[in-house]
Amino acid sequence: MSLLLSLLLPWASASASEQAAAASTLIAALGQPAPAHTAFAEARFLQMLDRPLVVSGELAWLGGDRLQRRVEHPQQETSTIADGEVTQQREGRSPRHFSLKRAPQLQVLLDSFVALLGGDAARLQQAFEVHQEGDARGAWTLTLVPRDARVAKTVASIRIDGYANASRCMHLQEADGDLAVDLLGPLAARMPAEPTREALAALCQSAP
Amino acid sequence: MRRGARAALLIGWLLALAGLGWMISQRLHVSTDLRSFMPAPTTPDQRLLMEQVGEGPGSRLLLLSIRGQSDARLAALSQGLAAALKNDARYSQVLNGSFDLGALDERLLPYRYLLSPTLDTQPLDQAYLADQLQQRLDDLSSPAASLLKGLLPRDPTLEVLQLAERWAPAKSPQLREGVWFSPQDEALLLVQTAAAGFDPGAQQQAIDGIRQAFAALPGSAGATLELSGPGYFSVVAAAQTRHQADWIGRISTVGFIALLLLAYRSIGSLLLSALPIASAALAGIAVLTVAFPAVHGITLAFGFTLLGVAQEYPIRVLSHRRAGEDALASVRTLWPLLLTAIASACIAYLAFYASGVNGLKQLALFTIVGLLVAGFSTRYLLPHLLPRRVHDVAGMHWLIQARTFVDRLPRPRWIPLVVAAAIVAMLVLARGPFWQDNLAALTPLPPELLQRDARLREALGAPDVRYLLVLEAPSAQGVLELSERLQPKADALLAQHAADALELPSRYLPSVAVQRERQATLPDRATLQHVLDQALQGLPFRADLFRPFVDDVQTARRLPPLTPERYAQTPLGQRLAAMLVERDGHWLGLGTVSGVHDVAALQALGADSHGAVRLLDLKAASESLVVDYRTRILQALAAAALLLVLTIALALRSLRRAWHVLAPMTLATFLVLAVERVAGVEISLFHLVALILAGGLGLHYALFFERDTGDAAEQRRTLHATIVCVLSALLVFGMLAWATIPVLRAIGLTVSLGVAFHFCLSILMAPHARQD
Repeated sequence: MSLLLSLLLPWASASASEQAAAASTLIAALGQPAPAHTAFAEARFLQMLDRPLVVSGELAWLGGDRLQRRVEHPQQETSTIADGEVTQQREGRSPRHFSLKRAPQLQVLLDSFVALLGGDAARLQQAFEVHQEGDARGAWTLTLVPRDARVAKTVASIRIDGYANASRCMHLQEADGDLAVDLLGPLAARMPAEPTREALAALCQSAP
Repeated sequence: MRRGARAALLIGWLLALAGLGWMISQRLHVSTDLRSFMPAPTTPDQRLLMEQVGEGPGSRLLLLSIRGQSDARLAALSQGLAAALKNDARYSQVLNGSFDLGALDERLLPYRYLLSPTLDTQPLDQAYLADQLQQRLDDLSSPAASLLKGLLPRDPTLEVLQLAERWAPAKSPQLREGVWFSPQDEALLLVQTAAAGFDPGAQQQAIDGIRQAFAALPGSAGATLELSGPGYFSVVAAAQTRHQADWIGRISTVGFIALLLLAYRSIGSLLLSALPIASAALAGIAVLTVAFPAVHGITLAFGFTLLGVAQEYPIRVLSHRRAGEDALASVRTLWPLLLTAIASACIAYLAFYASGVNGLKQLALFTIVGLLVAGFSTRYLLPHLLPRRVHDVAGMHWLIQARTFVDRLPRPRWIPLVVAAAIVAMLVLARGPFWQDNLAALTPLPPELLQRDARLREALGAPDVRYLLVLEAPSAQGVLELSERLQPKADALLAQHAADALELPSRYLPSVAVQRERQATLPDRATLQHVLDQALQGLPFRADLFRPFVDDVQTARRLPPLTPERYAQTPLGQRLAAMLVERDGHWLGLGTVSGVHDVAALQALGADSHGAVRLLDLKAASESLVVDYRTRILQALAAAALLLVLTIALALRSLRRAWHVLAPMTLATFLVLAVERVAGVEISLFHLVALILAGGLGLHYALFFERDTGDAAEQRRTLHATIVCVLSALLVFGMLAWATIPVLRAIGLTVSLGVAFHFCLSILMAPHARQD
């Protein structure tokens, strides 16, 4: 019985420190050299809207604390985070600037992305409480809860689903109930035309 | 007088002084506002200058920089300092770049449709709403979503952000970590003090408050806070002047005491001779506290300087004592001359009273009361206290030789002619402007402070303190309407780079007429709901999401237009209040200008406005003020000179004797002026004040040298007294001439030169003893 349990839930019985060590190992394995690019497709479920908003494009880590989010569909738009400032550029309009401090959601995104792409477990654990689950097939889930109470007021948690050395999905759960789901890498191409929360959850859990 | 009576007199005198001192300590209120030393303004520009110098938005602005730490730490310090100062009554505004939506009051939110010009060119119709809603949808899928989500139901066109952009400083510094940063990696802040800019006392308190708040912040120890701005400069200049005056004063006091001890060899006489001066100073201040609500610090400083004349009275008495003669008797013989000297000095100081400037009136009252008290106490009190046995100076060997030397000096009649010719020649030959009209040149600031100010001002886009665009109309609404009409021209000027920024009052509050026009264009509920429903077709927004928006537009249609009075209660209202002021039933709008490149183009803004719009050059206005000031002082001096001639002539009962007294004095005065001009000195008001002081001293020399006693010993005593007076004046003012601060140097140099010239000319032009 204990053998069976340990086979089914290899990390469930592990102690907290072992779990942290395992998370560090996983995060270190996720690291890539900068600049790193990945395709993304995002579905946003907002209470203001009757149906989700879907955009797709490319995310790029330019090294350091510099991140670029380029949307190609349905409208061209580029957002750049650099030096604590966000610059948003939309076709045919003058760029908009705002401080990262005013967009905690972005700060979270930056912290989690840069730490994941850089394989920097320490930084991730500094900004978030990190929980890890996984199964024997190599699929895993990291759950990040912001430690900063001010940030937690807007961002409740981030969940990253992955397989082996690749992140596949990122779920950004906002405190007011709104949810953003990003399909990353090859999975981005599989964003349904009219996504639902359930369909995306299934997609993220599916075998690669 | 008996011993007991002498003791009683001394104790009584000291008690009276103590009483005066107590009264002063109870009543004296020292003011530091420099404006009470400026003349009453006569032209509208000068009046505006006087208000702006103290109260204007530019002059109350302090520019702060914090450096020496990482950006993140500096930003935290900037936020901490801003938070600490925001609730302090000493500061009316604190800006550090962190965007604050709270600037627009919740109750005022519906007013955005009356304040913003967006809908002037763009009706709130279906096409506009559809475009805006599509953009919001894009926003919601962008990283900015969390910023806008809360705002959206009430303000789908983001009118609030448009207003915030409109009100942001035209040229704001770089934002890092959410606060302003300079290119030199300093966090920048702007603090507007409640206190007037040129009130060094109040500014010192405001600056101390900032430094204390900064020091109390965690982590501030490793960072450096620097300040700049007119208020800070007034504090620095005042401290610098006080510091130099203090150490020079200490050295010259020690020298002065040593000189008197050497001259009279009696500590008792020295202490007693200080009594008339102490009485003069205390009585002068006491009268000021009765006559004026506040006594100016400068009055006290200059007043004590001018009272230096009064030190001559006891010196004369001490020098003219004969062996065995009662002090009372020697005072009696001197008194007619002393009285003439006192009366003439008082007449000269009356000129200050006539100037009409509050600070100078105080100075005149203080000096006249002081001189009278010093003179009369020297005549009626001091002689009773002086020791009976004295050392008659007339027998001193060196003095006999000196007198012989002086008597042998040739006294050709052509001396006045030669001196006068030399004066004219020097005045003609002198280069550069005659008058120094720039008040700032008198208290110069270290160049590095000015460079820092220019750099911070440039980085912060802070308005120029020199130029103001003045709009004038019978009512506040008139000013706002004028400002609205001017805006297109101002925009055109900015496009031509005549200036970097030009802020008009209507930028913060449109006129009632414009607000009513905007109200009239807002659709009613049914119409708006209809176009909104049309615009929402095909978009995923929830059906009733924008109800708060429709409500706000309906509220805006019925709102009473926002007036300056109602606006004044909001944070932004303070900004407007500084730009819209009432005076004599007239209203003035003050447009601030930054980075002026083309003054002529800015002046041309008001070309066909018939004076309703004009560019005020505060520097030119201050110079014209100084010119008026000087003209009035010179006129008063001319009148005083005439009175002086009459007084001297009447007192001496001879025009010829009056000539012997007044000619050397007049020539010496002009000689000082000429020598300073040839040396390249531009003459300021402080030079004039110093010339009058030197003239007062010179009058004494001339009066005493002219006196013919027919007694060689008495002539020697006169020489002794005069030499002591000249040396003590040279000691005190010669030290001042070494100061690096031009105000102090002006006084020191002028009085020292004056004393030397007066002494030489009054000896050379005195009637020769043997001729009579």
